[in-house]
Amino acid sequence: MITIDRISKRFKTASQRQPGWAGWLGRRQGGWVEAVREVSLSAGDGRITGLLGANGAGKTTSLRMLAGLFRPEAGAIAVDGVDVLRQPRQALARMGILGDAHGLYPRLTARENIVYFGQLQGLSAAAASRRAEELAELLELGAILDRRAEGFSQGERMKTALARALVHDPANIVLDEPTNGLDVLATRSLRGALRTLAREQGKCIVFSTHIMQEVEYLCDEVVVVAQGRSVARGSVDELKQQAGCANFEDAFVALAFAPAREAA
Amino acid sequence: MNQILIVFLKELREALRDRRTLLRVSLPGLLMGPLMLFMLSMLVAQFEKQAEQREILVAGVAQAPTLVNYLQRQNFSVKEAPADYERQLREATLGQAVLVVPPDFENALARGAELELEVVTDSANTRASASGGGVARLVRGFNEERARLQLMLRGVSPELLSPVGLTERDLASPGARAARITGIIPMFVIMAVLYGALTAALDTTSGERERQSLEPLLANPVPHGALVLGKWLAVALMGAVVAALASFSFLPAQLLIKSDALAAQFRFGWADAASFALLLLPVAAAMGALLMAVAIRTKTFKEAQASANLVIMVFSLMPLIAIMNPGADAAWHYWLPGLGQYQQMMQLLKGETLRLDQWGPPLLSAALIIAAGMAYVARAMRAAASR
Repeated sequence: MITIDRISKRFKTASQRQPGWAGWLGRRQGGWVEAVREVSLSAGDGRITGLLGANGAGKTTSLRMLAGLFRPEAGAIAVDGVDVLRQPRQALARMGILGDAHGLYPRLTARENIVYFGQLQGLSAAAASRRAEELAELLELGAILDRRAEGFSQGERMKTALARALVHDPANIVLDEPTNGLDVLATRSLRGALRTLAREQGKCIVFSTHIMQEVEYLCDEVVVVAQGRSVARGSVDELKQQAGCANFEDAFVALAFAPAREAA
Repeated sequence: MNQILIVFLKELREALRDRRTLLRVSLPGLLMGPLMLFMLSMLVAQFEKQAEQREILVAGVAQAPTLVNYLQRQNFSVKEAPADYERQLREATLGQAVLVVPPDFENALARGAELELEVVTDSANTRASASGGGVARLVRGFNEERARLQLMLRGVSPELLSPVGLTERDLASPGARAARITGIIPMFVIMAVLYGALTAALDTTSGERERQSLEPLLANPVPHGALVLGKWLAVALMGAVVAALASFSFLPAQLLIKSDALAAQFRFGWADAASFALLLLPVAAAMGALLMAVAIRTKTFKEAQASANLVIMVFSLMPLIAIMNPGADAAWHYWLPGLGQYQQMMQLLKGETLRLDQWGPPLLSAALIIAAGMAYVARAMRAAASR
């Protein structure tokens, strides 16, 4: 169970000197960029919740705040009732996070990569290794489990990173554009794995994407994010109704970009 | 504690897996010293051989039978110099000074006329110019003998020639004298600390950023302090091990010394190597922390190397402060990493024991650098991931 309540975050932009002497002497001034203005979501157990939005809508920033990488300026985030801002370590122990950045250690094998994170999550080396084998079966990793990560393909790297995030069997799973750069087969197998995790194991899954198909295939609930705000929520069918469109893509465009057009 | 150990073991395993880099990084540290020692001893051995040969080159042997007689009585074999000795000296194919005798030498000597001999060397030719002093000493000896004979013939006591006698007394202990030669060791082992720690320090910080593995790492419920400490322990260990290997590499290197006199003077045993390794432990730990702090600021390995170069340069200049001011080791020297250890090692080589004010400050300054470095890296790591 993950609840995000009206979080916001702004970043200082890279400051630029003014041209000429004045720039060298004067203080540099940077502007502010509102990355997230007001995003809320509530993701239940046993369900897959999609965070759907265009590039730069604020999906990644929201998920990184959920992972405790930086604090929102306002709002609250709770995982199974644990406040991410007040008790970050307890909250992290309840989440498996596959972020935008998911580099592996190239000189370690897939298994060693997974076991390392398992140990950091408090598992014994033996338990983590057993868990790696279970996950290898779920994610079809068996053949590469004991190979060094150095020469892995994009899909193999993604699966290993996902296994690494799930090693401690967390009740909540957070994924940031997990199918990015994967081919058709890899995408299908990843979708299958996610469905298994939610339907059979009762996990709470939150993932961000900008691909309509994926949302239609997978999500029980969708939160549409545009310009740093969550502008609509509901199941795929509910959203189609809300927008009055038969096609989900049309519905998304209507929901995500209508407010901007109104504002303009 | 357990988490620190997990991080430490993982970083160590990863560092040891990268054999090629490990080898490339530690070989110069391990081989440079022994190689220098070998080359130095070759040079010394050559001088010794020349001295042993007791050979002198004279241009115009036939014109100076009296001089040649004197030289032979000093157990020198006299040889005629090659005709083109000037060219050969300049080209350094001839490694010996040449004594040039003017044509009418013998007659002029008998007449007691004013005479001039010439020693020809080339100061750009190291071997030849080193032998020039020996030739000059021989000519002075010849002069003195002639003078004594003249005085005795006139019934004057030859004692008048040297109214004041002079004997030299050297207070340096054999250890202190040997330290002039073993003094090259500290320079090399201090640098080895950096060779060992560098790759690990960069790999665990900017390398982690470059591979994009820092963000997932921070998504584990582990205090940042534990992550940083585990990484630092691995870095410090790598530095300390390479430094220890470099210290111990001088033990077998002694077998390479070609000169007997040098080998006899070169006093460096197991105990010295072990205490060197121990003295380098704090500086390995401190430099590891410093390199990590420098590297965590940069996004890529390459950038990190560029900034680490500055640290390496400053650090390698440290011992020079002491070398440029020999005998003037001030109290503040012991506070600087690198310089302090250099002074400590020199003290040990001279056979002295370290006083509290000699081993305390290096430890304290290392502890300060480590604490500041760790705190900085822990803070910068979060900032680096959230950008």
